[in-house]
Amino acid sequence: MSLKKEIAEIVFEELKLENVTHETFNGDMDLIEELGVDSMELTTIAVKLQDKYSVKIEEEDYANITTLNKIISYIDQKVN
Amino acid sequence: MAGKFSSYLQDPKISEKWFKIKQFFFLKESTYDMTNKCNLDCEGCYYYAGDKSLVENQTDPENWRQMFQAEKARGITFVVLAGAEPALVPELCRVAYEEIPHGAIATNGLKTIPKDINYKIHISVWGDDEYSETYRKVKACLHKQLTAYKNDDRAVYIYTFTRENIDQVDEVAKQIVNAGGLLSFNQFSAPVNYLGDLKLDRYARDKMKDKTLNLMDKYKSSILYSSYNAEIHSHDKSLHELFSCPYPRMNNKNKVVGLGKTFRQYRSDLTWDSSVACCVPDTDCGDCRHYAAGSAIVTSKLLSHVETKESFSNWLDYVDTYLSVWVYGYEKSENLISSSKNKEIIV
Repeated sequence: MSLKKEIAEIVFEELKLENVTHETFNGDMDLIEELGVDSMELTTIAVKLQDKYSVKIEEEDYANITTLNKIISYIDQKVN
Repeated sequence: MAGKFSSYLQDPKISEKWFKIKQFFFLKESTYDMTNKCNLDCEGCYYYAGDKSLVENQTDPENWRQMFQAEKARGITFVVLAGAEPALVPELCRVAYEEIPHGAIATNGLKTIPKDINYKIHISVWGDDEYSETYRKVKACLHKQLTAYKNDDRAVYIYTFTRENIDQVDEVAKQIVNAGGLLSFNQFSAPVNYLGDLKLDRYARDKMKDKTLNLMDKYKSSILYSSYNAEIHSHDKSLHELFSCPYPRMNNKNKVVGLGKTFRQYRSDLTWDSSVACCVPDTDCGDCRHYAAGSAIVTSKLLSHVETKESFSNWLDYVDTYLSVWVYGYEKSENLISSSKNKEIIV
């Protein structure tokens, strides 16, 4: 499974987004401003990403994970 | 560290508590001073420590309704009604409840808040009746509180420890539990420039910690607290020093998400000022171990508590305690970490 698809599934599952795929979802949509994601949801996503990719995410990095595409880019940089 | 979180959830007790508390992640709080009037004159009162009381009260329920509707529109889902004494303005508390159904009211407990307002009611207890009379200038305070909130499932008695009243907690807890009440704890946290005798020193904090752990063992489910609460609220470092406070007062308003961005502390004239906004705005941050502060600060620090299974369990116990104290209808589960076990803080 591609990194993009894996991360999208983590995000969609946590946000309970149904009937979307990484191909149909607008990756530039702001999760906080446009989807109303709150701090605990974002933190839970961060925890699951840490778990999946063995990376360390700091609260100070939250500005870098506000869209699906930003998350993918952020994790890609961390793991590669 | 990374990779362990999913393994923690293999433990059925941890998993159950995680999914139980997760249902309440939607709660987003702000606080509201409902009036600058009070029926008591307590030494060390946070409300009168600063200039919050120097405003003209807004008393028109329709103006309050419009404000709460606007709050709801910007995403606030939990209100804390406080200072000076919200029980004196039940019609305004009712407006809040009608607009935002989750909330809590901080009261001295001498006047019953109408039962149709289904918020948690936090009744402040400052030692035994003799001590209360000295600092609060009211006779038989606990008896009056227990009478006003007899068999009231909204009520939680919040015992505020000061340097002087730690030994009194045993008798006070006994009276509250025997009356069927629930008890949790607060720690006197000095207002800015406070020079009085109530501030807790290290000896007092250690003693306070022992007392709370013993009371948890003795009274079980009547005590809404956890080992982690006892540990971090008696720590040498303040909550801000331990966890980095997320409130706007600490200049967090540029954060992309969280309390720093959304929290407001309204005064009774319906104005607010983000530069002083936190749950107890006139507290010295270097001495802040306030229960309300912890409820917001510690619960928001999930990322800091996933390093070990024990750390995550402590955090779950803390959030479970927080919800049982603050959310009407939420039943506390048994703590994952027992009160007799020594623990190490992971922050």
